[in-house]
Amino acid sequence: MADPADTRDAALLAPIERTGRGFYWTVGLLSLLILWGAIAYWTQFDEGLGVTGLHQPVSWGFYITNFVFFIGISHAGTLISAILRLSKAEWRRPITRMAEVITVMVLFIGAGQILVDLGRPDRMLNIIRYGRYQSPLLWDATSISAYLTASLTYLYIPMIPDIAILRDRVGKRKLFYSVLALGWTGTERQQRVLNRAIAILAVLVIPIAVSVHTVVSFVFSMTLQPMWHSTIFGPYFVVGAIFSGIAALIVAMIAFRKAYGLESYLKPIHFRYLGQLLLVMSLLWFYFTFAEYLTGYYGSEPEEMKVFWSKFTGPFWPFFWGMVLTNFFIPILCLMRLGRRTIGKVLIASLSVTVGMWLERFIIVVPTLSNPRLPFGEGLYFPTWVEWGELAGSFALFALFYVLFTKVFPVISIWEIREGREVGLKEVEERLLTYLPDAAEPDVVGKRTEVVK
Amino acid sequence: MRGERSVSERTVRRLQWLWLVVAFGLIGGIITWIAHLIRTAWRLGDVPSASIGISIVSIPIFLTMLGVILYVFVGLRGDRGER
Repeated sequence: MADPADTRDAALLAPIERTGRGFYWTVGLLSLLILWGAIAYWTQFDEGLGVTGLHQPVSWGFYITNFVFFIGISHAGTLISAILRLSKAEWRRPITRMAEVITVMVLFIGAGQILVDLGRPDRMLNIIRYGRYQSPLLWDATSISAYLTASLTYLYIPMIPDIAILRDRVGKRKLFYSVLALGWTGTERQQRVLNRAIAILAVLVIPIAVSVHTVVSFVFSMTLQPMWHSTIFGPYFVVGAIFSGIAALIVAMIAFRKAYGLESYLKPIHFRYLGQLLLVMSLLWFYFTFAEYLTGYYGSEPEEMKVFWSKFTGPFWPFFWGMVLTNFFIPILCLMRLGRRTIGKVLIASLSVTVGMWLERFIIVVPTLSNPRLPFGEGLYFPTWVEWGELAGSFALFALFYVLFTKVFPVISIWEIREGREVGLKEVEERLLTYLPDAAEPDVVGKRTEVVK
Repeated sequence: MRGERSVSERTVRRLQWLWLVVAFGLIGGIITWIAHLIRTAWRLGDVPSASIGISIVSIPIFLTMLGVILYVFVGLRGDRGER
Protein backbone atom coordinates (compact mmCIF):
# COMPACT_ATOMS: atom_id res chain seq x y z
CA MET A 1 0.00 0.00 0.00
CA ALA A 2 2.87 2.41 0.70
CA ASP A 3 4.52 2.19 -2.70
CA PRO A 4 7.87 3.98 -2.52
CA ALA A 5 7.80 4.57 -6.27
CA ASP A 6 4.65 6.66 -5.96
CA THR A 7 5.84 10.25 -6.35
CA ARG A 8 2.47 11.99 -6.17
CA ASP A 9 3.14 13.07 -2.60
CA ALA A 10 6.69 14.29 -3.13
CA ALA A 11 5.71 17.63 -1.58
CA LEU A 12 5.29 15.88 1.77
CA LEU A 13 8.82 14.47 1.64
CA ALA A 14 10.42 17.68 0.36
CA PRO A 15 10.94 19.27 3.82
CA ILE A 16 12.84 16.13 4.90
CA GLU A 17 14.98 15.91 1.78
CA ARG A 18 15.83 19.60 1.39
CA THR A 19 16.47 22.37 3.88
CA GLY A 20 15.82 25.98 2.94
CA ARG A 21 17.20 29.17 4.41
CA GLY A 22 13.90 29.82 6.20
CA PHE A 23 14.49 26.77 8.38
CA TYR A 24 17.82 28.12 9.69
CA TRP A 25 16.31 31.56 10.34
CA THR A 26 13.43 30.00 12.25
CA VAL A 27 15.71 27.78 14.30
CA GLY A 28 18.03 30.73 15.01
CA LEU A 29 15.20 32.96 16.18
CA LEU A 30 13.65 30.26 18.34
CA SER A 31 17.05 29.39 19.82
CA LEU A 32 17.47 33.00 20.92
CA LEU A 33 14.17 32.87 22.80
CA ILE A 34 15.11 29.51 24.30
CA LEU A 35 18.42 31.01 25.39
CA TRP A 36 16.52 33.77 27.20
CA GLY A 37 14.42 31.09 28.90
CA ALA A 38 17.55 29.09 29.82
CA ILE A 39 19.25 32.16 31.35
CA ALA A 40 16.06 32.94 33.27
CA TYR A 41 15.87 29.38 34.58
CA TRP A 42 19.54 29.33 35.52
CA THR A 43 19.09 32.59 37.46
CA GLN A 44 16.12 31.11 39.29
CA PHE A 45 17.93 27.84 39.96
CA ASP A 46 20.96 29.70 41.27
CA GLU A 47 19.27 32.37 43.37
CA GLY A 48 15.96 30.69 44.24
CA LEU A 49 12.33 31.52 43.56
CA GLY A 50 12.87 34.94 45.16
CA VAL A 51 13.89 36.29 41.75
CA THR A 52 10.36 35.66 40.46
CA GLY A 53 7.19 37.56 41.29
CA LEU A 54 5.90 34.58 43.31
CA HIS A 55 5.40 35.33 47.00
CA GLN A 56 2.80 34.92 49.73
CA PRO A 57 -0.13 34.69 49.17
CA VAL A 58 0.36 34.33 45.39
CA SER A 59 2.55 31.24 45.16
CA TRP A 60 1.28 30.13 41.75
CA GLY A 61 1.70 32.44 38.78
CA PHE A 62 2.93 32.12 35.21
CA TYR A 63 4.32 28.60 35.65
CA ILE A 64 1.07 27.01 36.77
CA THR A 65 -0.85 29.09 34.21
CA ASN A 66 1.49 27.69 31.53
CA PHE A 67 1.09 24.19 32.91
CA VAL A 68 -2.71 24.29 32.65
CA PHE A 69 -2.52 26.05 29.27
CA PHE A 70 -0.08 23.60 27.66
CA ILE A 71 -1.81 20.52 29.04
CA GLY A 72 -5.03 22.00 27.65
CA ILE A 73 -3.57 22.45 24.19
CA SER A 74 -2.53 18.81 24.22
CA HIS A 75 -6.18 17.95 23.71
CA ALA A 76 -5.79 19.22 20.17
CA GLY A 77 -4.22 16.33 19.14
CA THR A 78 -5.03 13.03 20.38
CA LEU A 79 -8.61 13.76 21.31
CA ILE A 80 -9.54 15.50 18.05
CA SER A 81 -7.62 13.02 15.95
CA ALA A 82 -9.15 10.03 17.79
CA ILE A 83 -12.68 11.38 17.50
CA LEU A 84 -12.26 12.13 13.79
CA ARG A 85 -10.76 8.68 13.17
CA LEU A 86 -13.49 6.84 15.04
CA SER A 87 -16.24 8.83 13.34
CA LYS A 88 -14.58 8.10 9.97
CA ALA A 89 -14.51 11.76 9.03
CA GLU A 90 -12.66 11.61 5.71
CA TRP A 91 -11.45 15.21 5.91
CA ARG A 92 -9.29 14.22 8.88
CA ARG A 93 -6.55 12.65 6.74
CA PRO A 94 -4.18 15.63 6.33
CA ILE A 95 -4.86 16.87 9.88
CA THR A 96 -4.40 13.99 12.30
CA ARG A 97 -0.59 13.85 12.29
CA MET A 98 -0.21 17.56 13.01
CA ALA A 99 -2.67 17.26 15.87
CA GLU A 100 -0.92 14.23 17.37
CA VAL A 101 2.47 15.94 17.23
CA ILE A 102 1.11 18.97 19.10
CA THR A 103 -0.10 16.69 21.88
CA VAL A 104 3.22 15.00 22.49
CA MET A 105 5.28 18.22 22.30
CA VAL A 106 3.12 20.28 24.63
CA LEU A 107 2.75 17.49 27.16
CA PHE A 108 6.50 17.51 27.67
CA ILE A 109 6.55 21.28 27.98
CA GLY A 110 3.46 21.40 30.21
CA ALA A 111 4.82 18.78 32.60
CA GLY A 112 8.17 20.62 32.60
CA GLN A 113 6.47 23.73 34.02
CA ILE A 114 5.96 21.87 37.28
CA LEU A 115 9.70 21.28 37.53
CA VAL A 116 10.32 24.98 36.94
CA ASP A 117 7.69 25.95 39.50
CA LEU A 118 9.24 23.69 42.12
CA GLY A 119 12.30 25.90 42.28
CA ARG A 120 14.31 22.89 43.37
CA PRO A 121 13.73 20.20 40.75
CA ASP A 122 15.40 17.54 42.93
CA ARG A 123 12.27 17.66 45.11
CA MET A 124 10.44 15.88 42.30
CA LEU A 125 12.06 12.73 43.66
CA ASN A 126 9.90 13.10 46.77
CA ILE A 127 6.83 12.40 44.64
CA ILE A 128 8.41 9.22 43.36
CA ARG A 129 9.52 8.06 46.78
CA TYR A 130 6.82 9.31 49.14
CA GLY A 131 3.85 10.26 46.92
CA ARG A 132 0.42 9.97 48.55
CA TYR A 133 -2.59 9.14 46.44
CA GLN A 134 -4.86 11.26 48.60
CA SER A 135 -3.43 14.30 46.82
CA PRO A 136 -4.91 15.43 43.48
CA LEU A 137 -1.36 16.45 42.52
CA LEU A 138 -0.46 12.78 42.37
CA TRP A 139 -3.61 11.97 40.39
CA ASP A 140 -2.26 14.54 37.95
CA ALA A 141 1.16 12.91 37.81
CA THR A 142 -0.43 9.52 37.11
CA SER A 143 -2.92 10.69 34.48
CA ILE A 144 -0.34 12.82 32.67
CA SER A 145 2.05 9.83 32.57
CA ALA A 146 -0.75 7.71 31.08
CA TYR A 147 -1.63 10.41 28.57
CA LEU A 148 1.97 10.97 27.54
CA THR A 149 2.55 7.25 27.04
CA ALA A 150 -0.71 6.84 25.12
CA SER A 151 -0.06 9.92 22.94
CA LEU A 152 3.47 8.83 22.11
CA THR A 153 2.19 5.39 21.09
CA TYR A 154 -0.71 6.94 19.21
CA LEU A 155 1.67 9.20 17.32
CA TYR A 156 4.17 6.47 16.54
CA ILE A 157 1.98 3.56 15.43
CA PRO A 158 0.11 5.41 12.62
CA MET A 159 3.49 6.75 11.49
CA ILE A 160 5.02 3.30 10.79
CA PRO A 161 3.99 3.06 7.08
CA ASP A 162 5.36 6.57 6.48
CA ILE A 163 8.62 5.68 8.21
CA ALA A 164 8.87 2.71 5.84
CA ILE A 165 8.43 5.09 2.88
CA LEU A 166 11.25 7.23 4.28
CA ARG A 167 13.41 4.12 4.77
CA ASP A 168 12.93 3.16 1.12
CA ARG A 169 13.03 6.60 -0.48
CA VAL A 170 15.11 9.02 1.54
CA GLY A 171 18.86 8.53 1.35
CA LYS A 172 19.67 9.64 4.89
CA ARG A 173 19.06 8.18 8.38
CA LYS A 174 18.58 4.71 6.90
CA LEU A 175 19.34 2.84 10.13
CA PHE A 176 17.06 5.07 12.18
CA TYR A 177 14.11 4.65 9.81
CA SER A 178 14.75 0.90 9.40
CA VAL A 179 14.60 0.36 13.15
CA LEU A 180 11.42 2.39 13.61
CA ALA A 181 9.66 0.91 10.55
CA LEU A 182 9.57 -2.50 12.32
CA GLY A 183 9.91 -4.35 9.02
CA TRP A 184 6.83 -2.77 7.47
CA THR A 185 6.26 -3.87 3.87
CA GLY A 186 2.57 -3.15 3.61
CA THR A 187 1.21 -6.72 3.50
CA GLU A 188 -2.47 -7.26 4.20
CA ARG A 189 -1.71 -8.81 7.58
CA GLN A 190 0.48 -5.89 8.63
CA GLN A 191 -2.23 -3.48 7.55
CA ARG A 192 -4.77 -5.41 9.62
CA VAL A 193 -2.52 -5.36 12.68
CA LEU A 194 -1.91 -1.64 12.28
CA ASN A 195 -5.58 -0.75 11.83
CA ARG A 196 -6.57 -2.82 14.85
CA ALA A 197 -3.88 -1.22 17.04
CA ILE A 198 -4.89 2.30 15.91
CA ALA A 199 -8.55 1.54 16.65
CA ILE A 200 -7.74 0.25 20.16
CA LEU A 201 -5.58 3.29 20.91
CA ALA A 202 -8.17 5.73 19.54
CA VAL A 203 -10.77 4.28 21.91
CA LEU A 204 -8.33 4.22 24.83
CA VAL A 205 -6.99 7.71 24.35
CA ILE A 206 -10.34 9.55 24.53
CA PRO A 207 -11.18 8.74 28.18
CA ILE A 208 -7.53 9.27 29.14
CA ALA A 209 -7.54 12.74 27.53
CA VAL A 210 -10.81 13.67 29.24
CA SER A 211 -9.51 12.38 32.58
CA VAL A 212 -6.28 14.38 32.30
CA HIS A 213 -7.90 17.78 32.17
CA THR A 214 -10.56 16.79 34.67
CA VAL A 215 -7.80 15.85 37.07
CA VAL A 216 -5.93 19.10 36.33
CA SER A 217 -9.11 20.95 37.35
CA PHE A 218 -9.26 18.87 40.56
CA VAL A 219 -5.99 20.47 41.69
CA PHE A 220 -8.05 23.64 42.07
CA SER A 221 -11.58 22.45 42.74
CA MET A 222 -10.66 20.02 45.55
CA THR A 223 -9.55 22.99 47.66
CA LEU A 224 -11.98 25.28 49.50
CA GLN A 225 -10.49 28.39 47.91
CA PRO A 226 -13.02 30.97 46.65
CA MET A 227 -13.99 30.50 42.99
CA TRP A 228 -12.01 27.25 42.77
CA HIS A 229 -14.32 24.98 44.74
CA SER A 230 -16.69 24.31 41.87
CA THR A 231 -18.38 21.13 40.68
CA ILE A 232 -18.32 22.17 37.02
CA PHE A 233 -14.56 22.76 36.93
CA GLY A 234 -13.92 19.31 35.41
CA PRO A 235 -16.08 19.70 32.28
CA TYR A 236 -15.26 23.44 32.14
CA PHE A 237 -11.55 22.63 31.91
CA VAL A 238 -12.12 19.89 29.33
CA VAL A 239 -14.19 22.23 27.14
CA GLY A 240 -11.53 24.93 27.44
CA ALA A 241 -8.81 22.41 26.60
CA ILE A 242 -10.51 21.22 23.41
CA PHE A 243 -11.21 24.85 22.51
CA SER A 244 -7.57 25.93 22.87
CA GLY A 245 -6.40 22.70 21.24
CA ILE A 246 -8.39 23.34 18.06
CA ALA A 247 -7.07 26.91 17.93
CA ALA A 248 -3.46 25.77 18.29
CA LEU A 249 -3.97 23.10 15.63
CA ILE A 250 -5.34 25.65 13.15
CA VAL A 251 -2.39 28.01 13.77
CA ALA A 252 0.09 25.15 13.21
CA MET A 253 -1.74 24.04 10.05
CA ILE A 254 -1.67 27.51 8.55
CA ALA A 255 2.01 28.03 9.44
CA PHE A 256 3.15 24.75 7.85
CA ARG A 257 0.82 25.16 4.87
CA LYS A 258 2.57 28.41 4.08
CA ALA A 259 6.11 27.31 4.97
CA TYR A 260 6.06 23.97 3.12
CA GLY A 261 3.64 24.82 0.31
CA LEU A 262 0.95 22.34 1.39
CA GLU A 263 -1.93 24.25 -0.19
CA SER A 264 -3.12 21.23 -2.15
CA TYR A 265 -3.39 19.15 1.03
CA LEU A 266 -4.73 21.67 3.52
CA LYS A 267 -7.60 23.21 1.62
CA PRO A 268 -10.03 25.95 2.67
CA ILE A 269 -12.64 23.25 3.34
CA HIS A 270 -10.48 21.85 6.16
CA PHE A 271 -10.27 25.28 7.75
CA ARG A 272 -13.99 25.80 7.28
CA TYR A 273 -14.79 22.59 9.18
CA LEU A 274 -12.30 23.34 11.93
CA GLY A 275 -13.57 26.94 12.07
CA GLN A 276 -17.11 25.67 12.60
CA LEU A 277 -15.85 23.39 15.34
CA LEU A 278 -14.07 26.35 16.93
CA LEU A 279 -17.26 28.39 16.77
CA VAL A 280 -19.24 25.66 18.55
CA MET A 281 -16.54 25.38 21.22
CA SER A 282 -16.56 29.17 21.68
CA LEU A 283 -20.29 29.11 22.40
CA LEU A 284 -19.87 26.15 24.72
CA TRP A 285 -17.01 27.89 26.54
CA PHE A 286 -19.15 31.01 26.99
CA TYR A 287 -22.01 28.91 28.36
CA PHE A 288 -19.74 27.29 30.97
CA THR A 289 -18.14 30.62 31.90
CA PHE A 290 -21.56 32.22 32.30
CA ALA A 291 -22.85 29.33 34.43
CA GLU A 292 -19.72 29.37 36.60
CA TYR A 293 -19.80 33.10 37.34
CA LEU A 294 -23.57 33.41 37.70
CA THR A 295 -23.63 30.65 40.33
CA GLY A 296 -20.90 32.40 42.33
CA TYR A 297 -22.59 35.78 42.03
CA TYR A 298 -26.00 34.46 43.04
CA GLY A 299 -24.57 32.78 46.14
CA SER A 300 -22.88 36.10 47.12
CA GLU A 301 -20.56 34.40 49.57
CA PRO A 302 -18.30 37.26 50.81
CA GLU A 303 -14.96 35.55 50.06
CA GLU A 304 -16.19 34.53 46.61
CA MET A 305 -17.40 38.04 45.87
CA LYS A 306 -13.98 39.50 46.66
CA VAL A 307 -12.46 37.37 43.92
CA PHE A 308 -15.44 37.95 41.65
CA TRP A 309 -15.15 41.75 41.81
CA SER A 310 -11.36 41.69 41.55
CA LYS A 311 -11.91 40.06 38.15
CA PHE A 312 -14.82 42.17 36.98
CA THR A 313 -13.81 45.66 38.10
CA GLY A 314 -10.72 45.20 40.31
CA PRO A 315 -7.05 44.89 39.41
CA PHE A 316 -7.66 41.89 37.12
CA TRP A 317 -10.34 43.50 34.96
CA PRO A 318 -8.12 43.95 31.84
CA PHE A 319 -7.31 40.22 31.88
CA PHE A 320 -10.92 39.15 32.52
CA TRP A 321 -12.53 41.35 29.85
CA GLY A 322 -9.61 40.64 27.52
CA MET A 323 -10.41 36.95 27.95
CA VAL A 324 -14.11 37.50 27.14
CA LEU A 325 -13.19 39.57 24.08
CA THR A 326 -10.65 37.12 22.69
CA ASN A 327 -12.48 33.90 23.52
CA PHE A 328 -15.98 34.93 22.58
CA PHE A 329 -16.54 38.18 20.68
CA ILE A 330 -13.61 38.04 18.22
CA PRO A 331 -14.11 34.34 17.30
CA ILE A 332 -17.87 34.82 16.90
CA LEU A 333 -17.35 37.84 14.63
CA CYS A 334 -14.73 36.03 12.56
CA LEU A 335 -16.44 32.67 12.28
CA MET A 336 -20.08 33.67 11.94
CA ARG A 337 -19.82 33.97 8.16
CA LEU A 338 -17.08 31.99 6.49
CA GLY A 339 -17.81 32.84 2.89
CA ARG A 340 -14.69 34.56 1.58
CA ARG A 341 -11.18 34.69 3.06
CA THR A 342 -11.92 31.63 5.19
CA ILE A 343 -8.32 30.94 6.11
CA GLY A 344 -7.60 34.54 7.18
CA LYS A 345 -10.70 34.69 9.36
CA VAL A 346 -10.04 31.31 10.93
CA LEU A 347 -6.43 32.31 11.64
CA ILE A 348 -7.47 35.55 13.40
CA ALA A 349 -10.04 33.64 15.46
CA SER A 350 -7.50 30.96 16.40
CA LEU A 351 -4.77 33.40 17.41
CA SER A 352 -7.36 35.28 19.45
CA VAL A 353 -8.50 32.08 21.21
CA THR A 354 -4.90 31.06 21.93
CA VAL A 355 -4.30 34.37 23.72
CA GLY A 356 -7.74 34.22 25.34
CA MET A 357 -7.30 30.73 26.73
CA TRP A 358 -3.94 31.65 28.26
CA LEU A 359 -5.67 34.63 29.91
CA GLU A 360 -8.45 32.33 31.10
CA ARG A 361 -5.94 30.04 32.84
CA PHE A 362 -4.27 33.10 34.38
CA ILE A 363 -7.60 34.50 35.55
CA ILE A 364 -8.41 31.18 37.23
CA VAL A 365 -5.06 30.75 38.97
CA VAL A 366 -4.00 34.18 40.21
CA PRO A 367 -7.01 36.23 41.47
CA THR A 368 -8.08 33.47 43.88
CA LEU A 369 -4.61 33.34 45.41
CA SER A 370 -4.53 37.15 45.59
CA ASN A 371 -7.68 37.07 47.73
CA PRO A 372 -7.32 33.97 49.92
CA ARG A 373 -10.03 32.66 52.20
CA LEU A 374 -7.62 32.31 55.13
CA PRO A 375 -6.72 35.52 56.96
CA PHE A 376 -3.53 36.29 55.01
CA GLY A 377 -3.04 39.72 53.60
CA GLU A 378 -4.15 40.26 50.04
CA GLY A 379 -1.42 40.52 47.42
CA LEU A 380 -0.95 41.24 43.76
CA TYR A 381 1.29 39.36 41.40
CA PHE A 382 3.81 41.02 39.13
CA PRO A 383 5.90 38.60 37.05
CA THR A 384 9.58 39.48 36.66
CA TRP A 385 11.82 39.07 33.60
CA VAL A 386 12.51 35.53 34.81
CA GLU A 387 8.89 34.44 34.33
CA TRP A 388 8.60 36.29 31.01
CA GLY A 389 11.79 34.53 29.90
CA GLU A 390 10.37 31.15 30.89
CA LEU A 391 7.15 31.92 29.07
CA ALA A 392 8.95 32.94 25.86
CA GLY A 393 11.35 30.01 26.17
CA SER A 394 8.51 27.50 26.63
CA PHE A 395 6.62 28.68 23.56
CA ALA A 396 9.83 28.77 21.52
CA LEU A 397 10.78 25.28 22.68
CA PHE A 398 7.40 23.97 21.57
CA ALA A 399 7.79 25.62 18.15
CA LEU A 400 11.38 24.35 17.80
CA PHE A 401 10.42 20.77 18.67
CA TYR A 402 7.64 20.96 16.11
CA VAL A 403 9.87 22.36 13.35
CA LEU A 404 12.55 19.74 14.05
CA PHE A 405 9.94 16.99 13.92
CA THR A 406 8.92 18.09 10.41
CA LYS A 407 12.54 17.73 9.29
CA VAL A 408 12.60 14.07 10.30
CA PHE A 409 9.04 12.84 9.70
CA PRO A 410 6.29 13.92 7.28
CA VAL A 411 3.93 16.37 8.93
CA ILE A 412 1.01 14.96 6.91
CA SER A 413 0.34 11.24 6.89
CA ILE A 414 1.30 10.05 3.41
CA TRP A 415 -0.21 6.58 3.65
CA GLU A 416 -3.52 7.92 4.94
CA ILE A 417 -3.73 10.34 2.01
CA ARG A 418 -3.03 7.48 -0.40
CA GLU A 419 -5.55 5.27 1.37
CA GLY A 420 -8.09 8.08 1.03
CA ARG A 421 -7.52 8.21 -2.73
CA GLU A 422 -7.51 4.46 -3.24
CA VAL A 423 -10.00 3.11 -0.72
CA GLY A 424 -11.67 6.06 1.00
CA LEU A 425 -13.70 7.26 -1.97
CA LYS A 426 -15.26 3.85 -2.54
CA GLU A 427 -15.86 3.34 1.17
CA VAL A 428 -17.63 6.68 1.51
CA GLU A 429 -19.89 5.87 -1.43
CA GLU A 430 -20.79 2.49 0.05
CA ARG A 431 -21.38 4.02 3.48
CA LEU A 432 -23.56 6.74 2.00
CA LEU A 433 -25.72 4.14 0.31
CA THR A 434 -26.31 2.42 3.64
CA TYR A 435 -27.66 5.71 5.10
CA LEU A 436 -30.23 6.20 2.33
CA PRO A 437 -33.62 4.45 2.21
CA ASP A 438 -33.72 1.39 -0.05
CA ALA A 439 -35.00 2.21 -3.54
CA ALA A 440 -38.45 0.64 -3.98
CA GLU A 441 -39.13 -1.33 -7.17
CA PRO A 442 -41.61 0.42 -9.55
CA ASP A 443 -44.29 -2.38 -9.58
CA VAL A 444 -44.29 -2.53 -5.74
CA VAL A 445 -44.89 1.22 -5.65
CA GLY A 446 -47.77 0.86 -8.13
CA LYS A 447 -49.48 -1.85 -6.01
CA ARG A 448 -49.17 0.24 -2.85
CA THR A 449 -50.75 3.25 -4.56
CA GLU A 450 -53.71 1.07 -5.60
CA VAL A 451 -54.17 -0.20 -2.03
CA VAL A 452 -54.22 3.36 -0.70
CA LYS A 453 -56.84 4.34 -3.26
CA MET B 1 28.26 -7.57 -0.01
CA ARG B 2 25.94 -10.26 1.29
CA GLY B 3 27.76 -10.28 4.63
CA GLU B 4 27.51 -6.50 4.87
CA ARG B 5 23.73 -6.62 4.34
CA SER B 6 23.19 -9.32 6.95
CA VAL B 7 25.24 -7.36 9.53
CA SER B 8 23.11 -4.32 8.90
CA GLU B 9 19.90 -6.35 9.25
CA ARG B 10 21.17 -7.87 12.45
CA THR B 11 21.89 -4.40 13.82
CA VAL B 12 18.41 -3.27 12.88
CA ARG B 13 16.89 -6.31 14.58
CA ARG B 14 18.94 -5.76 17.73
CA LEU B 15 17.99 -2.10 17.88
CA GLN B 16 14.34 -3.00 17.43
CA TRP B 17 14.56 -5.34 20.42
CA LEU B 18 16.27 -2.58 22.36
CA TRP B 19 13.40 -0.28 21.41
CA LEU B 20 10.94 -2.82 22.82
CA VAL B 21 12.97 -3.17 26.02
CA VAL B 22 12.96 0.63 26.46
CA ALA B 23 9.16 0.76 25.98
CA PHE B 24 8.69 -2.06 28.49
CA GLY B 25 11.14 -0.41 30.89
CA LEU B 26 9.30 2.90 30.72
CA ILE B 27 5.78 1.58 31.16
CA GLY B 28 6.92 -1.16 33.56
CA GLY B 29 8.69 1.53 35.60
CA ILE B 30 5.48 3.54 35.97
CA ILE B 31 3.55 0.42 37.04
CA THR B 32 6.29 -0.41 39.56
CA TRP B 33 6.12 3.15 40.89
CA ILE B 34 2.34 2.92 41.41
CA ALA B 35 2.79 -0.45 43.14
CA HIS B 36 5.46 1.10 45.38
CA LEU B 37 3.05 3.86 46.44
CA ILE B 38 0.37 1.29 47.29
CA ARG B 39 2.89 -0.66 49.34
CA THR B 40 4.01 2.46 51.20
CA ALA B 41 0.42 3.50 51.92
CA TRP B 42 -0.39 -0.04 53.09
CA ARG B 43 2.68 -0.27 55.33
CA LEU B 44 1.96 3.09 56.97
CA GLY B 45 -1.81 2.53 57.17
CA ASP B 46 -2.10 5.81 55.23
CA VAL B 47 -5.51 5.44 53.52
CA PRO B 48 -4.40 2.59 51.22
CA SER B 49 -7.91 2.51 49.71
CA ALA B 50 -7.11 5.70 47.73
CA SER B 51 -3.98 4.16 46.23
CA ILE B 52 -5.71 0.87 45.49
CA GLY B 53 -8.72 2.64 43.93
CA ILE B 54 -6.59 4.71 41.57
CA SER B 55 -4.28 1.86 40.69
CA ILE B 56 -7.26 -0.35 39.76
CA VAL B 57 -7.97 2.15 37.00
CA SER B 58 -4.46 3.17 35.99
CA ILE B 59 -2.51 -0.11 35.98
CA PRO B 60 -4.85 -1.82 33.44
CA ILE B 61 -4.49 1.24 31.18
CA PHE B 62 -0.71 0.95 31.20
CA LEU B 63 -0.94 -2.82 30.68
CA THR B 64 -3.27 -2.32 27.70
CA MET B 65 -0.77 0.08 26.13
CA LEU B 66 1.99 -2.41 26.71
CA GLY B 67 -0.18 -5.07 25.07
CA VAL B 68 -0.81 -2.87 22.02
CA ILE B 69 2.91 -2.14 21.63
CA LEU B 70 3.74 -5.85 21.88
CA TYR B 71 0.96 -6.74 19.44
CA VAL B 72 2.27 -4.26 16.85
CA PHE B 73 5.87 -5.34 17.40
CA VAL B 74 5.14 -9.03 16.97
CA GLY B 75 2.47 -8.51 14.29
CA LEU B 76 4.63 -6.37 12.04
CA ARG B 77 7.96 -8.08 12.52
CA GLY B 78 6.41 -11.51 12.14
CA ASP B 79 5.16 -10.76 8.63
CA ARG B 80 7.70 -8.86 6.61
CA GLY B 81 6.56 -10.21 3.20
CA GLU B 82 8.36 -9.11 0.07
CA ARG B 83 9.90 -5.67 0.11
